[in-house]
Amino acid sequence: MRLLITGAAGFIGSHLAETLLAQGHQVTGIDNFLDYYPRWMKEKNLEGVRTKPGFEFIEADLLETDLVSLVKRLEGVIHLAAQAGVRASWGENFRTYSDNNVLATQRLLEACRGEGIKKFIYASSSSLYGDTDDLPMREESILRPVSPYGVSKAAGEYLAYLYYKNFGLPTVALRFFTVYGPRQRPDMAFHRFFRAGREGKPLVVWGDGEQSRDFTFISDIVQGCLRALEAGRDGAVYNIGGGTRRTLNEVLEAMRRITGKPMEVNYQPVQKGDVRHTGASLEKIKKELGYNPQVSMKEGLELEWEWVQDLYNK
Amino acid sequence: MAISKELLDILACPKCKGDIYLNEAGDGLICEKCKLIYEIKDDIPIMLIEEAKPLEG
Repeated sequence: MRLLITGAAGFIGSHLAETLLAQGHQVTGIDNFLDYYPRWMKEKNLEGVRTKPGFEFIEADLLETDLVSLVKRLEGVIHLAAQAGVRASWGENFRTYSDNNVLATQRLLEACRGEGIKKFIYASSSSLYGDTDDLPMREESILRPVSPYGVSKAAGEYLAYLYYKNFGLPTVALRFFTVYGPRQRPDMAFHRFFRAGREGKPLVVWGDGEQSRDFTFISDIVQGCLRALEAGRDGAVYNIGGGTRRTLNEVLEAMRRITGKPMEVNYQPVQKGDVRHTGASLEKIKKELGYNPQVSMKEGLELEWEWVQDLYNK
Repeated sequence: MAISKELLDILACPKCKGDIYLNEAGDGLICEKCKLIYEIKDDIPIMLIEEAKPLEG
């Protein structure tokens, strides 16, 4: 199968490209190296796939590239490219979010219309659910995002559904729950924590640390994507979670055990856009796609710690 | 990862969406209409309008 991965130089995109190539698929990667975090990290993400047969890569922007000719020879699209970050999505910054998460998605969907695409995967987010005590979050729960980022990702998800409903484009939306592991973005909590731990600096936690997340290890996200690519129901939405909910304080305790570092915490006021808890109901994806998270929190944290040490030991 | 002819065939100028072609040195893609050259670095075509260089001559 020839697939397009948008955001291929990113955290999830690069892992997914590796797995798909190993399975014998052909992958075209596209990425605009949005400057949200350093370019060298994204280039490093691509190291494992750059020379693999079946892989090609274009540095381009979904907002300006001629997507119609690009998608013509494709059978599948995995649309991961986005402007990430919940807390940065307020104010003037919102334009970047609406351009990259809404407009770019619409351009890509439009290009895929009537082009024989067998599956279009849209990377959605647990942030669509917003702040709720009604846990676990189920796909049919009411969506009340509490950040402009969540709103932009919701708009993209609705657009994907519209292109399914109106034009028969076989779209599937996957709501990822806090993804972690090697190559995690440097602004994400675990990466920041491990980095601070390595440098012996105090780390910042927004809030009291009792907020909880359903943390999902990267290889489980990849597993979910592959299953959706094979058997995802057209027009459907699935949660992909790690199956365990932990508070940040619990995670920090586990990190202290793994790293042997004190990891002193500087607690700061809660940031606007952050939710208190997330927890995925995995009932639907387990039942329909046979998904099952494989990686325990301990194992996943150890792998990320190893990677963070390598990354900065230069 | 060399650039395949197939990939070159589907790439278009991001500005005018028109045809582009590989320069003689094989390190850039030229859009005659926009008078721009899109560089190829480490086998990666950089198809960004902002990064494109004006075509000389």
